[in-house]
Amino acid sequence: MSRALVVLLILGRSAIVGLRGAAVTAAIAVVTIGFALFLVGAFALTVVNMEGMLERFGEELSVIAYLDDEVDDDRAVAIAERVATIEGVERVAVVGRGEALERFRDIAGGAALLEGLEENPLPASLEITLGDASRTPEGLRILSSALDGLPGIDEVGHGSEWIEGYARATSLVRVSGYALGTVLCLATLLIVANTIRLGVYAREDELEILALVGASRTFVRTPFLLEGTLQGVIGGALAAAMLGLAFLVVVPQLEYGLTFLLGNVAPRFFDAGELAALVCGGAVLGFFGSLAALFGWRR
Amino acid sequence: MAPGKGSLFERRDDSPVRMYHVSKSYIAGQTAISDVSLELAKGEFVFLTGQSGAGKTTLLELLFAAERPNEGQILVLGRNIARLRGSGVPALRRRVGVVFQDFKLLPRRSVEDNVRIALDVVGTPRREARSRVFNVLRQVGLQHRRYHEPMALSGGEQQRVAIARALVSEPEVLLADEPTGNLDPDLSIEIMELMLAAATRGTTVLVATHDISLVERYRRRTLRLEAGRLVEDVPAAGGLE
Repeated sequence: MSRALVVLLILGRSAIVGLRGAAVTAAIAVVTIGFALFLVGAFALTVVNMEGMLERFGEELSVIAYLDDEVDDDRAVAIAERVATIEGVERVAVVGRGEALERFRDIAGGAALLEGLEENPLPASLEITLGDASRTPEGLRILSSALDGLPGIDEVGHGSEWIEGYARATSLVRVSGYALGTVLCLATLLIVANTIRLGVYAREDELEILALVGASRTFVRTPFLLEGTLQGVIGGALAAAMLGLAFLVVVPQLEYGLTFLLGNVAPRFFDAGELAALVCGGAVLGFFGSLAALFGWRR
Repeated sequence: MAPGKGSLFERRDDSPVRMYHVSKSYIAGQTAISDVSLELAKGEFVFLTGQSGAGKTTLLELLFAAERPNEGQILVLGRNIARLRGSGVPALRRRVGVVFQDFKLLPRRSVEDNVRIALDVVGTPRREARSRVFNVLRQVGLQHRRYHEPMALSGGEQQRVAIARALVSEPEVLLADEPTGNLDPDLSIEIMELMLAAATRGTTVLVATHDISLVERYRRRTLRLEAGRLVEDVPAAGGLE
């Protein structure tokens, strides 16, 4: 076994001894890191899902042209063929009144709203999909103005304003997450730093002896850095576990709110890489917290 | 006092400890050590005496680089203490064992752990460390107590553990600051014998003590400090050991 590995094992043992020796303060630091990362992770998870929704909006961006009530199926097809010739249009699909009714029934709460209605209130429509190059707010405006004067078309609807609003909301959540995350991370750094500093004070006799027998600065400091990092890793894992639990328990309770927020897209949890990043975030917090504790400490 | 006639000052090239006109003061105008020059030979056993406040502890602290001189030069194992920086201090301390009056043991660690700490800092593999710790504990007669905590040991036994810790890394110099200060006379002799044995094996030993009975009993070279000045350098009664 190489000497470096032996030293690393010795330092690892020393870190574990240190953690055991200050189990309560270490547990407080772990829980603090866990809660801070839980909140940051919850924001990140919300942003990830909202961004996923935005991405899907972008992919599925379409314009809906609602047809007059008196337009029959043949005429609807004729209008669709004409619309398909407009520049930038990639595909046009006719949605008959019956299909519109079925779709409405399928969305959350739709069936309840339709109860008691004797007549189908929904109009037929054309779902117009734009080509990639035209899938922009400007492209949407050009198409809207081309559709405006067409006979048989009652109203044109597209979600660009809504999408822009949604993008702004996503951005707001993201920025809030950054701000909250920064504050929480700073607070956590301070708590970890103080925990480690308490450990340093508690072990001053040992550190003095280590210095007397020729321990290098690195040898003396590394166990504390390992302790902080280990606390961070455990805190990160705790945050991941709490997020997973919250996702399993809370998401089904928020079905309607999430449908409003994400449409029909099922909310997703972090993948393995994102979870690893969360745990690494804890490790980084722990490492820098303990580094801050040792900064300026000389023996 | 400058090394005088009859001292070994100019003759030794391999002396592990040399001080040249060293002064140290903590507060301006109050010198703890004043113009001290001395030299210790390899394997020499030397007493450092003087009343409390004479500067014994400061002199020892200068030798293991816990303090730096204000004036003069100190060479310990070829290293200039005044210029020692960064990793130089720990590197020096691995070659210099130190024993204190208050033992400086970790109360919640076993005797074995307390001694092994000196080997851990240089990354000694566990098996080798255990074997060396066992051997040094056998030298001080405590191998059967290796799993006990220091608080379960008598004062004399605790000091023997501290000596074992200082000796386990086979230092070339052993410094002891009032090692028998807390012990009764019988135990003091026990401790002195251990340090004499280390000198016999080639370690240079400097023992600070104000216990004149020990100095008289062993009749080794004796340096006497008075108000920070080296006022007497009495050679060993039986010549240099």
